[in-house]
Amino acid sequence: MTIKEMMEKTTVQQRVDEALEIAKNSQEKLNAVVTFIDPSEQIKNLEGKENGLLYGIPVALKDNVCTKGIKTTASSRILENYVPIYNAHIVDKLEDAGAVMIAKASMDELAMGGTNLTAATGPVHNPYDLDRISGGSSGGSAALVACGAVPLAIGSDTGDSIRKPASFCNVVGMKPTYGRISRYGIIPYASSLDHVGYFTRSVEDAAIALEVLAGRDDRDMTSSYREVPHYIDALSGDIQGKKIAILKNVTNAIDNQETLTVFNQLMDELKAKGAEVYEVELDENLLKAMLPTYYLIANCEATANHSNLDGIRFGVQKEGATAEEIMINSRTAGFGSLIRKRFVIGSYGLFVENQDRLFRQAQRVRRLIVEEVKKVLQDADVLVAPASANGAPRLDDQSADQLTDTYLIAENHMVLGNFTGYPSCTVPMGITKGLPIGINLTAKAFDEENLLNICYAIENITGLKDAKKEVK
Amino acid sequence: MEKKDAAYFKKLAHNLMFELNDQEAQELVEEFETLTKQLALLEAIDTTGVEEMIYPFEEETSFIREDVVSNVISQKEALANASKSKQGHFVVPKVVK
Repeated sequence: MTIKEMMEKTTVQQRVDEALEIAKNSQEKLNAVVTFIDPSEQIKNLEGKENGLLYGIPVALKDNVCTKGIKTTASSRILENYVPIYNAHIVDKLEDAGAVMIAKASMDELAMGGTNLTAATGPVHNPYDLDRISGGSSGGSAALVACGAVPLAIGSDTGDSIRKPASFCNVVGMKPTYGRISRYGIIPYASSLDHVGYFTRSVEDAAIALEVLAGRDDRDMTSSYREVPHYIDALSGDIQGKKIAILKNVTNAIDNQETLTVFNQLMDELKAKGAEVYEVELDENLLKAMLPTYYLIANCEATANHSNLDGIRFGVQKEGATAEEIMINSRTAGFGSLIRKRFVIGSYGLFVENQDRLFRQAQRVRRLIVEEVKKVLQDADVLVAPASANGAPRLDDQSADQLTDTYLIAENHMVLGNFTGYPSCTVPMGITKGLPIGINLTAKAFDEENLLNICYAIENITGLKDAKKEVK
Repeated sequence: MEKKDAAYFKKLAHNLMFELNDQEAQELVEEFETLTKQLALLEAIDTTGVEEMIYPFEEETSFIREDVVSNVISQKEALANASKSKQGHFVVPKVVK
């Protein structure tokens, strides 16, 4: 059910009980939850919130969202015992709107991954095929929406950490404009790329969620002052004359013909609805440099951001004879292997002798890439491409050749939304080789109304509203 | 240029206040080979005269506020997540012997 249907057809107690039941019954197979939250106090506190847009709606939060008094681990061993003393801004927003939080969802450790294989509590499985990954880093959130437990789950997106799992799990994954939703109280990854977003099973629900979550917060220095529109009012489904630019570099780099067929059919349908659909090609060399640009910026920023995780002021502490030894032992035991290796690369990029050649070069190339996207979106309403070349990989298959165009461009192009800060959304598109696959759309900064409306038109065409896969 | 072998990466890790075991350091040597090829794609881009992009937007959203107290937490809250604390302080082994 969508949020609106839930409100019309069920009582608060019924929908919260059902959400918890589905999440708990699927936990053994999906492993999507780190911590279940007892909803009884929240339900008691709902009085006076009856007009809230999320009144009594069960919601899951990625486990990097700080929740006062509730364990928040970011799926890292070093934060296994961390209980925040404050709420993230969006937690207060959700509570004000009447939402009832039922679970903290698994994620790649510290959000640094795209598979959800690195969570301290183990991998999250894809509801559509339990032998496959959910995608990451917001994999637990995606799986909980996809299996029907909750209609809304919060995620965060630094490279494509909402939009890729959304594609793999057949749900809507929205990353609004940088600054649209406050990041206060979100355990960071890379501050110039981090966005808060969410998963839903319908575009209408995505519009409702954005209206609840968006808005200025003085505690996040990048939070925008712009007014928050009534996003739901923009959902007419009318796309007559809308300009839809296909990112040809991505379709060229995809060799899965089924994905291209599904995508091309959808483009034909959009044309039939009156949209102007055309191909654009960005500088290929810039796009091939996209992934190393991301990798450097993200890891350099992460290395600095996570220097505070030392086991002394908070987090799991290991024994040591000196303060230095305590920190070294805590960080060695507390971080997974992949995270420590990424920190080493980040530190390498920040060395005085490498900083201009690598980190600063990445920041300059970022500007060139952003200028390219900006040029396309001066004329177009949205830039579109398949969110991925293929459906979710198997849990034991991480063998992708990282130097091919398929990997460098087709599997990683959504980082454009993080470089630019532009709003970007993945919606279900169809099936490729028996697995769900999504389409990704990116619009101009703060043009979420237009973006969501085009997503809504796509949802009307595909009929993939409220798609879910029960797991028993 | 210093050789990028397992010992090199172990030293870097130690400077970051954690250790890599032999297997992790060796994996990093191998991953670094792929990364070096990817970084060559980045370094090949001509960025003469291009300014670094630090944040997505240059629109002003931060400001200098009046120096007034806000968002106060208690000492108890500040120490709530520390493994060891005493008399309002985080406790670590003695630095001065």
